[in-house]
Amino acid sequence: MSTLTKVLIVLLTIASIFLCGIVVTYVANADNYKQKYDTLYNGYQAAKKNEDNAKTQLNNTIEEKDRDTGKLGEQIASLEEDINKLKSDLATAERDRDDANRKVNNWAAIVMDFSKTIENNEKLVKDALTERDLKEAELIKQGKELKDTTAALMENMAIVKQLQEGSKRLLEEKTELQNKLDQYLRQYGKAIAEPIPVTPGQEAVRLTPPTKDIDLNGSITEVDLKNLLAEISIGAADGVKEGMRFHLTRGDKFICDIVVLDVWPEKAVGWLELIQDQPQDQPQINDRVSTNL
Amino acid sequence: MSPVVQSRGKKIAAADNLYTVILAVAFLVVLTAAVFVAYQCYTQYDTIFKIQ
Repeated sequence: MSTLTKVLIVLLTIASIFLCGIVVTYVANADNYKQKYDTLYNGYQAAKKNEDNAKTQLNNTIEEKDRDTGKLGEQIASLEEDINKLKSDLATAERDRDDANRKVNNWAAIVMDFSKTIENNEKLVKDALTERDLKEAELIKQGKELKDTTAALMENMAIVKQLQEGSKRLLEEKTELQNKLDQYLRQYGKAIAEPIPVTPGQEAVRLTPPTKDIDLNGSITEVDLKNLLAEISIGAADGVKEGMRFHLTRGDKFICDIVVLDVWPEKAVGWLELIQDQPQDQPQINDRVSTNL
Repeated sequence: MSPVVQSRGKKIAAADNLYTVILAVAFLVVLTAAVFVAYQCYTQYDTIFKIQ
């Protein structure tokens, strides 16, 4: 055997061992793809079944959901009707509540007013009772004073009676004097003013009573120059009295005087005095007469 | 097949039977590997050559 053959044998053997070792190592460590495929295929089938089941369940659920949706739509519609009804009821109830609140407030205000009125009345009653007690005490006191005053009054009454008799006498004298004075003043168209009572003790000098103008105005209604008589348009109703003197004028001109002789309620007749000689200055109808110029 | 004792001054050479043994070992190694690969194919894919 040649050397080359021997070398080739050795190299072949080494290469075989090396390559077989590599192949065995690779095969021993290689993945089991069939097993992996089976596992994955089984998983795939199971997933597909699950998908079908899920699709079926989904369809069922969708159908059920649609049915429920329809039912819920009907329920929502009926509930909306109920809600509208309840809203209208609520509005009515709120209106009733507001009315009731207003009534309650009104009644509360009325009750408050009544309470205040009652309190005021109670205060007034208390005050009235207190005042009544005070008045009773005062009345008792005044009753005692009245008894004393009555006794004093009885004494004074006797004195007053005496004074009244004296006063009566003085009054009669005064009336006589006043009548005389009145007759005297009436001739000149004057009258006595109301005397002012004066306390004799407080005045050092007693003044004479003042006079005032009677101030009667009228006109001539008839003239009788032969008898020197004339009739005037005012009488006793206007305050004309017998003896009163009137001045007869025409415009700014003095004509004559008239002294009243007789008086009727609405007219009077008097005596013409101080008649002038000129014919145009003779008294005429409608000439003015007055007590004062 | 016994080794020939060479005379002094000559190279010592192995007998030819040794190379036969080496070849036999190589063959056994290749056979063992082929059997192992076939066994693995059969156990994993239920066949040796056919592709399913």
